[in-house]
Parts: sequence; structure tokens; C-alpha cells
Amino acid sequence: MAKLNETIHQPVRLRIMAALVTLGPNEEVDFTYLRDLLEVTDGNLGAHLRKLEEAGYIAVNKAFVERKPHTFVATTAAGRKVFQEHVAALESILKSK
Amino acid sequence: MNISPTEAEEALAAIQTMMKKTRRAISSSGAYLFLIVWGVVWLLGFLGAQFLPQYIAVYTWMVLDILGGILSAIIGIRMNRGVRSPSSSSSGKRIAIFWMLLFLYCVASIAVSWPADGKQLAMFIILFVMVGWLAMGLLLSFTSIWPAVIITALALVGYFLLPGIFNLWMAILGGGGMIVLGLYIRSRW
Repeated sequence: MAKLNETIHQPVRLRIMAALVTLGPNEEVDFTYLRDLLEVTDGNLGAHLRKLEEAGYIAVNKAFVERKPHTFVATTAAGRKVFQEHVAALESILKSK
Repeated sequence: MNISPTEAEEALAAIQTMMKKTRRAISSSGAYLFLIVWGVVWLLGFLGAQFLPQYIAVYTWMVLDILGGILSAIIGIRMNRGVRSPSSSSSGKRIAIFWMLLFLYCVASIAVSWPADGKQLAMFIILFVMVGWLAMGLLLSFTSIWPAVIITALALVGYFLLPGIFNLWMAILGGGGMIVLGLYIRSRW
């Protein structure tokens, strides 16, 4: 049976993962784009991204685009798997209601 | 970790909302600008065709089309910068080549069917642009094909049933419609 994941279940991190798994497997999103999408502050997003990165669910990649530093974020294969398991666990709780 | 069914339901709803918002943001980011730019081009071009002497209207269309093309290229280069992938630059090049080829096919079709009057020329261009729009819609976002279908239907109605006010019809419903749709997408995102 699928298990709930405590790291992912936090509301902001849940939304971060939902946004990231919507992208294609080889796609990554710019930090500011993600911040605007989630409507959170830089500091708040940065803190939650660190937690997810430490857990191995996302990969953070810093790169220069047109000589400006950008931070890109993507889910890892492990992150996608854990998120799907978390969603399955939520659905099973609803079904057993 | 244990949560109640109500909490599970709320979490699933939050996930669905976020996924929908992300999909919408990716598909619409920048697209509204194309709609506004070409809506303004059509509005001014067709109004010119309706009210200005023919030779001035032709030059007006040419200038507007060139401006629209330049602005579209700039928007195309700048759009979707928030999301990147190894395939995105090659997709962008393919899309640009597609529009260039479509333009050449449109010019070839007009040359083959010559002589054509102003309304026929306008319809040729509208139909080719709408084919391009439909192709992009089928490739990038299925829901975006409907405005193209509606504009095509409106253009055909104007061409066959309202020939006397065809240009005015297309300026208001075609150009104005694209501007309104662009602003609507902008406000929704």
C-alpha cells in the first residue's frame, strides 16, 4: 500500500511538487517563474526547495543565461515516484472514507 | 503519518489546482501577446481596407504585416523562458521553419489563383494563418484551436454573406476578437 510522505505533504512543498511533475521529465523551471506561479516569497520558496533537494526529490541547477545567473529546478526520478505514491495514498484514504 | 479524509481531499484538490495552473501558465505564457499584436494588425489593416483608398490600404497592410512579423519574432524568442529543456530550442526552430514555409505556400497559392480581388486575397491569408494556428494548437495546447475555428467560421460568413462590409466585419470580429481573447488570457493568468 502507498505511504504518505511527510516531507511532501507540507502545503507549499506539495504545490511545488505538483507544479514540477506537470513539466516534462527533461524540463526544468526557472526559480522566479516558479515563485510567481506559487505566489510565495523568494525566502519561503528557497527554504522549501532546500528541504526537497536534501530529500533527493528535486535537482537545483545554477546556470548563466545571457550572462545573468539563473537557478533552475526540476524533479528527480525519485521525486516523481514519491509524489505519485503520495497521491495514491491520499486517494486510498478518500476511498476508504 | 495519519490524516483525515477531509485533509486528503483538500490536499488532492490543491494538487489538481496547481497542476492545472502550471499547464495553463506554460501554454499561455506569451501566447496572449501574439493575439494582441495580430489583433491590432488585423483591426488597423481591415479598417484601412474598408475606409482608405486601395493603394494606401495595400501599403498600410504591408507595413502592419512587417511590424507584426518583427514583434512576433521578438515575442517568440523571449516567450517560455521560465521553462527550459534540451528539446525546446529545436522545437522553436521547427516552429519558425513551419511558419516560414506556410508563408511561402500562401504566396504560391495566391500566385497560382491570380488575379484575385482584395477580399479573396484577405481570405487566402486568413485561411493560411488559421491553418498555422490550428497546427500550433494541436501541437501545443488542444483548447487553443477553438478561437481559430471560430475566426475561420466568422471570416467565411463575412466573405459569403456580408461582402459589402467584409473588411469592417473582420476588423471588429477578427481583430477585435483576438485583442479581447488576448486580454482575457492575460487577466486569467
